[in-house]
Parts: sequence; structure tokens; C-alpha cells
Amino acid sequence: MLTAIRVFTSRLFGLFRGRSFDRGIDEEFQSHLEMLVDRFTSQGMTRDQAQYAAKRQFGGAAQIKEQLRERHGSALLDSSWGDMRYALRQMRGSPVFAATAIFTLALGIGANTAIFSIIDAVMMHSLAVQEPQQLVVASWSANRLPSHLNGLTSSGDTPDSLGEVNPTGSALPRPFFQEIQSSGLFTDVAGFSPAGPLALSGNGPASSVEGETVTGSFFNMLGIRPAAGRLLGPADDNPSAPPALVLSYEYWQKTFGGSTLAVGKVVKLNDIPFTIVGVAEPRFRSLTFGNVYDLWIPMSFWPVTGPSHMRMRRAYDDPLSWWMLIIAKLKPDLPATRAQAATDAMFRNFTEHAGGQPIFESGDNPRLILVPAKKALVGHIRHYADPIWVMMAAVGIVLLIACANVAGLMLARTAARRREIAVRLALGARRTRLLRQLLTESVLMAMLGGGLGVLIAIWGSQVIVTMIGSTAARPLGLSASLDWRVLGFAAAISAITGLLFGLAPALRSLRLDLTPVLKSGTQASTGKTDPRHRWLSMGNGLVAAQAALAVVVLMGAGLLVHTLTNLKSINPGFDTRNLLTFELNPSLAGYKGVESDAFYRELQARISSLPGVISASYSADALLAGSWSRTDFRYVPPGGSKKVVEVADIMPVSPQFFKTLKIPLLAGRNFTVTDYDTAATNRAAQIAQDQRKPGEPERPVPTTPESALVNRQFVKKFLAGVNPIGQRFGAEDGSDPDRSKGPGYEVIGVVGDAKYSTLQRDIDATIYVPITGSGATFEVRTAGDPKSLIAPIRSLVNQLHDDLPMTNVETQTEHIDQLLAQERIMAQVSTFFGLLALVLACVGLYGLLSYEVARRTREIGIRMALGAERSDLVRMMVGQGIALVLAGATVGVVAALALARLLTKLLFGVKPSDPVTLVAVVLLLLIVALVAAFVPARRATTVDPMSALRYE
Amino acid sequence: MVLKTLEVMGPMHGFGIARRIEQLSEQLLRLNEGTVYASLLRLSQKGWIRSEWGTSENNRKARFYSISAAGRRQLAREAENWERFSGVIGKILEMQAGG
Repeated sequence: MLTAIRVFTSRLFGLFRGRSFDRGIDEEFQSHLEMLVDRFTSQGMTRDQAQYAAKRQFGGAAQIKEQLRERHGSALLDSSWGDMRYALRQMRGSPVFAATAIFTLALGIGANTAIFSIIDAVMMHSLAVQEPQQLVVASWSANRLPSHLNGLTSSGDTPDSLGEVNPTGSALPRPFFQEIQSSGLFTDVAGFSPAGPLALSGNGPASSVEGETVTGSFFNMLGIRPAAGRLLGPADDNPSAPPALVLSYEYWQKTFGGSTLAVGKVVKLNDIPFTIVGVAEPRFRSLTFGNVYDLWIPMSFWPVTGPSHMRMRRAYDDPLSWWMLIIAKLKPDLPATRAQAATDAMFRNFTEHAGGQPIFESGDNPRLILVPAKKALVGHIRHYADPIWVMMAAVGIVLLIACANVAGLMLARTAARRREIAVRLALGARRTRLLRQLLTESVLMAMLGGGLGVLIAIWGSQVIVTMIGSTAARPLGLSASLDWRVLGFAAAISAITGLLFGLAPALRSLRLDLTPVLKSGTQASTGKTDPRHRWLSMGNGLVAAQAALAVVVLMGAGLLVHTLTNLKSINPGFDTRNLLTFELNPSLAGYKGVESDAFYRELQARISSLPGVISASYSADALLAGSWSRTDFRYVPPGGSKKVVEVADIMPVSPQFFKTLKIPLLAGRNFTVTDYDTAATNRAAQIAQDQRKPGEPERPVPTTPESALVNRQFVKKFLAGVNPIGQRFGAEDGSDPDRSKGPGYEVIGVVGDAKYSTLQRDIDATIYVPITGSGATFEVRTAGDPKSLIAPIRSLVNQLHDDLPMTNVETQTEHIDQLLAQERIMAQVSTFFGLLALVLACVGLYGLLSYEVARRTREIGIRMALGAERSDLVRMMVGQGIALVLAGATVGVVAALALARLLTKLLFGVKPSDPVTLVAVVLLLLIVALVAAFVPARRATTVDPMSALRYE
Repeated sequence: MVLKTLEVMGPMHGFGIARRIEQLSEQLLRLNEGTVYASLLRLSQKGWIRSEWGTSENNRKARFYSISAAGRRQLAREAENWERFSGVIGKILEMQAGG
């Protein structure tokens, strides 16, 4: 064993001492020979005789030297080095071939590396905090949603699923957080919750910022350091403490120019003065991957971040309001499983007893687990998982096509080198040795292609990240990096690619029948047809394979493009052109309850009278903005006698809503001022009822039902067969403890169906009610470019109230573009790679046919001499090409049909086996192939029969 | 054989080793002398002999080989094996003779 290691090491070192070793051997042999000569001369021979005798006695010096050399170093590495140098010389000899091959490989390898670097950045992102592997996030799950909660939120930090079946979420109530904190199970516990858009004023014009509320131990537990000033601590997390906030580094640079004067400055958030106490270090952008915040405020000020301070303050300590995320640092000596078991028990106990009555129904099995922070806090990036997988598949196929392409090139090249290979084989080279040399050439080319590909990848990944980032509502915080993993991937893929496309042609080239090749030299088209046909079938096979793969990629691209056009051509039920939208939240500026009603009405009137505005309105939510509100109600269906519970979408709107959005009124009447007064009165009464302290007398309940407009879908679902006008629903007499007493709604009219939240979601039954007292989105229909009215409207808002920011100022078309962002990216990327695949496949076809023409020049000459027309020849060559492509396309269609089923989740309005797309793809392939085949075919016709016949 | 030679004779150069082998085998083993160098390389790679340049008797530059400690151990091992082997053969032969 030991000796084997010694031998190996000495051979390894021998690699580097080649020349000195040679010199030493020479000297040694020389002196040995001379000593022999001396001996023989002393025995009486002449000098010449002695020298001959010495050489005879010694043996073949050259052979022995060769033996020694082989033993001395590593023959393998030595010859490989020689192979590489030889390969480089070969490439320099045919630069066009080398450049084409290297460039093609660079495209394939570069595309794959680009996608991998993005996936790497997403998967491997590390939390920029101390000891991230010790951090866990609490996550609850149950068989059904909790039935007795006052509020449940989903912050978008974790992959929550709040459907009816097996829901899971991460939002928990603050009393439970306090319980965990005092349990001593963890080194430290912190909580956080996004604070939504906050109105920031006091530093220039009012603007809207994204904030996060955090508990006192947050920054300390995560080990984050300040870049200026100090960070929030437990002393700040107290309602009676002076309000403090911490800026994020980026926001500090952007808005305060990185000036240290910002520390200590007082600004207003939602009209409450906060002191800027510090700035976080630049390394820490966010806890959740992709959710970037502008500032952090203490959790104790969470109630001021929402529209109704009273309601939020009640929710703050309410065990039945779940809004806070809990993150904890494990103790080093307490294993995670024990901590989880203890926390789970606490949770079950909490849901049983904390709220006065059990929060879950029996059998719901609520449970709590601790998820590693990195796994839990994935944020919005998971939305982009699908496009990224599609891209990966597409570039993988493109790489295969590139390999087949270069393999075809290699085939043609090795055909040219047949003579050289035959000579070497005849001289006694082992086939494996030659194989090794040919493979060295291909791997070397692949490595060079890989190097160039890395450069392409750097550029390409930036393009893709920009594309993804431009569609997100908030900055993503994602940047593709070039670390050793990515480079390692590129190197590995290059090596595999080199072997892949080099092996088959190399093997083919070694199956030579030596004698005919040695005798006749290059490609004699006379002679045995057998090896020739074998050449042909491999080249043909490669082109057919490329065609098949191209069909697969093109099919995927076609389906995704079809999906996109389907989505874009959906009729949303309202006119989306020239529509500007923006959001306002007057309660952030101090308007309480129904006071905002007058503000909206005033603003709406003023906006409508602006030049260039056709009409203006407002509603509680923007249409096609991804969110919606639903409500359940009880009513007696027509023809029935018992009350049933139903669910429908609900949207509070202003009277001009339907006119502005051009939703037709189909029956009944629109809202009037009286309707709004009724709604306001009802709302005020409800607020008074909510704020009633126990023991106070009940307030009088209004008796007039609110007017409501319903859409056609509502009528079809709930009021079929009767005249909808005048029907009532939602009235409650107080007998159901879950529902507050109220007069409900009365239908005053029917409007046309319109999409609400997303284009893909089907139109559901929708109730439109008069808007009163909430944040609103304004819709402004303009005559010309909507963006030109942003400035005049902003000054109008400032006239009415100078510290109220407009948020989410966008045109309706921009909304829709954002909705379709994912589909658009996938369509764009897959089309790009589909076309790339098509081009590569057809270049391969062109190459093959050119080679064919060159190879069969003699045969073509004979044909022409025998009377073939030029058109016959063209038809022959083009026919061969088209036959190949058709064969490949057939295989490709079968494969595409099988694989397209994987895309079903991403498609809309089109089946994976859509025949139209299929036919279109195959036609496209055939047309481009026709062109690619035509050019070399024409070249065949320019052959001069006389010179062709003489051509050897 | 090379190892034994070096152990007994001390450091020698390639020529001397070849002479010695010639002597020992009483001219029965007529190798090409150069082949001894293959054995020398093998032995030195295994670490059983060492080499260094020096001057020979007639003032020629030559490489001298000497046995190493590991080489001595190997020699001892091989000698032991040989004795055991020949012992077994001897016993077998005796057996045959004995019937």
C-alpha cells in the first residue's frame, strides 16, 4: 500500500522533471557505454570493435529510454497535454469551423448558465443576518379555517394557503407572541408585520412608503448593525415611548442623500410625528427575500398604520386577531424538535382557551410547527418559479440542439481527416488512443465555448432579472451572481457537452476500412456504399433530431403565446382604454369615518371639471388590480321559505362609477344622493354599535336597507325567475350572534358583468353598494393620454389637503400589463428560444446539405452529363432535406404532445394538444427548412459537369 | 537480485551492478545490460534504493545507487518468503520420496 503511494507520488513529480530526467538518462547511458568500451579495449579489441561490442552488450538504448520515460512520468497526462496542443493547432487550421462551433456552443452553454445563475441566486440566497440557520418562523395549519376569529391576514412573506381545505398560515395574535416570549424556550423571540403603505410627510412633498413594524428585540436578535445612529430596541417598543423609526440604507441614500443630518429629524407617518433614530446597515435589505422595506417602526405603533386606529388598537391585543409573524432564535442546547413540541402544545392550549371560546371547531386539529426561516420567508419570488422552470426546459433543449449541430459539423470535419486517421491507425495507433485525442478536441472546443458562454450568461442573466423585476410592484432585491457554483456548473456542462457531441462522430470516424481510404484518399464517391451510408445516416439523424427538438420548443412557445393573446383579448366587461387610476387614503391624514365622503365628493367634482377629463369616479378597490372583497349574506331565495347563506363579491362605488367605466346599466336605476345618505347613516350607526362599551344601552338600528346594484351573474345565481328590482337580502334581526343587526340591502338595478380582480378569474356574482368612509381608488376617463393629467390632479389633491399622498398612480392598461406579467415573460422567453432553436436546426440542415453537395459533386456531374435538368437536381436535394425535417418533425410532434401536458397549469383558454398551434409550428419549420435547403441545392446546379467528372 | 547486490557491495553504479549480475549468474543470464535500468527505476520509485551522482573509478560521471532502510526491510521480507517457499517445496519433495 505504502509503496503504491510512493510510486504514484514519484510518477506525479516526474511529470514536471521531464527534461532533466531525459538528460540524466542520456548521461547515465553514455557513461555506462563508455565503461563497457573501456572494458573491451582493455581486453584487446580496437576502439571500433569495442564500441560495437558495447552497444550490442547494452541493448537497444532508444527502446529502453522509451520504457523508462513511460514509467517515469504519467503517460496519460503527458499525452493529454500533447493532445491539447494538437487540438489547438487543428482549430487554428480551420478557423471558420472552430469559430462556428465555439459560438454555437457558447450560445447553448451561456443560456443554461444564465438560467442556472438566477436559480442559484434564488435558492441560495442567504438571510443577511447573524446565524440564520438558528432562526425559525412559527407556522400554523389545521384541517379547516378557524371559525371564530375577528381577523386573519396574510402578509405575503410566507407561502400561506388560506383556502377552506387544509389551510396554513403564519399570522398569529400578539397575546400568543407574548406567551412564547415569556416561555424561555428560545434565545430570543421577535415579531414583525408589514405596515402597508404609510403616508410620509415632512420631508418634501407627501409620499407613500413601505414600512414594517417590528418588536423591540428584532434588530438585536438578528445581529443587524446600524449604518448611522442607532436601531430600535425594547425601550422603543412601548406605546408611551417617543415614536422612533429606522430607515433602510437604500431609502436613506435615495431620499436623504445619505446625509447624517437625517438622524434626529422628525417626519410624520400617517400624521404622527416620528423621530428618525438611525439607518440600518446596507447589507440588510429585508428579512423576507424580495420584500424590500423603506423603514421600520416599533410594533407598539402598529395601530396607527391602518385606517381605523380604534379598530387596530383593539386588534393589537386581541387573541382573536391574527396579524403578526413570529420569528425565534433556537437555543443552542435545546433541539428544534423539543422546542417545536412545546410550542405546539402552547398553541393548542391557546386556541382552546385564550379567546373565551375555542377558536377552531373540534376535529380541526390545529397545530403549530417551526419552519426554518430561510424556507419560510420566500416572499414573492415563488410567483416566478413557473417562468423560471419554463426557461430552464427551453434552454436545456436549445443546448441539445446546439450539441447536435456541432456534432454534425464535427462529422463533416472528421470526414475530411479520414486519410490522416487511416494513416495513424495503419502505423499502429490504438483506437482508444485516437478516440482520446478526438475527444480532447471536442472537449477543448466545448470549454472554449463555455468560457465565451459565461460572458453571454452574465449579460443574459441581467436581462432576464431586469425583465422579471420590471413587472413586480416593488423592487425585488434579486441579482444574479457569478459565484463558484455557477462557474462550476458552466465548466461541468461544457465538459459534458463536449463529450456528448464529440463521442458519436469520433466513434464513427474510427470505424474505417483502411485500405480503400489509404488508396484513394479523400471522399471518393465511388467505392463501397456501406460506410458512406453510415456517414449519411448519422448526419441525417442529427438533423432530424434537431428538427424534432425545435418542434418541441416551438410548440411550447406557441402555446404560451396563444395563452397570452387569449388573456389579452378577454373582454373585461368595461372599457380599459385611457383610464387613469390612483389611490387615496384620507384617514391617513386625519379624516375620520364618514368625513372622507365629503372629501371624495369634492375631489371628484373638481377632477371632472378638469379639461381633458371625460368623467371621474371612485371605488373601494381598483378593478383588475389583483384584490377583491367578498361578503356572505343570508336571504330567502325566490320560491323558498328558509334563509340560506350565500357568498358574493362586493364593491363599494361612487355614483359615476358605471358611467366612467362604461359598464352598462341593464335594468332599474343608478345610485342617487339619497342612497349615499342612507349608506352613510347606516355606517355611522354601525361604528357606534362597534364602539359600544358593554353595559351601555343599545343604539337604535336603522331600518332602511341600503341600495345595491347587482350584476347579471348575481341575478342568474340568486334571483332567477323573478324581477330583481326591489328584492331584499342580507337583513339581520340580531338572532344570529355572528352577524350584527342591520336592514340589509335592496336591489335597485342590474348592471352588466365585469371582471373584478384578475382576468383569469371568472366573473362571479357581484354586489355594488354606495361607497362610504374608506380608502378609495379613483378612476378618471381621459380624452387623451391619461398620464398627462397626473400633474393637474395632484395639484388638485394638494389644494384640498396638502399632506395627502396619491399612491399607485397607474393607467388601467398598466394594471393589466402587471397582471399578465408572468404570462408575458414566459411568452417572450419561450419565443426567443423557440426561434433560436429553429435557426440552429435550419443552420444544421444547411450545413448537412452543403456537405452533401460537396461530397456528391462527382455524382451530380454524372447526372447532369446524363441529361438531368437543373430543376431535377434542386428537387433531389431539397427533397432530401424536407424528408429529413418531416421525419424529425413527426417525432417532435409526438414528443411535444407528450410534454405539453406539463404546461397545462400555465395555459389559459388553449389545450396542450391544440391543433392550430401544432400545425402552425410544423408549417413554420417546413418553410424555414425549405429556404435553408434551397441555397445549397441551388449550388448543386452550378456544378460544371466537366470539372465534376474530373474531380477526384 | 539488485537489492542483494547493493546490500552486499554497497553503493554502485549501473555498470557495476550489471557486471556483478553477470558474475553471479556465471554468465548464464545474458541480459541486455540496459534492461537493468528499468529495474533500477522501478526500485527507486518504490523507495527501496536511492541514487546520487558521483564520479566512478575511471573518473567518469555516473549515478550511484544505494539501498535504503525500506529496501533492507524488503530484502529481509523476500528472503524470508523464499526460505518458507523452498521449505515447503522441500517438504513436498520429501513427501514424494517417502511415498
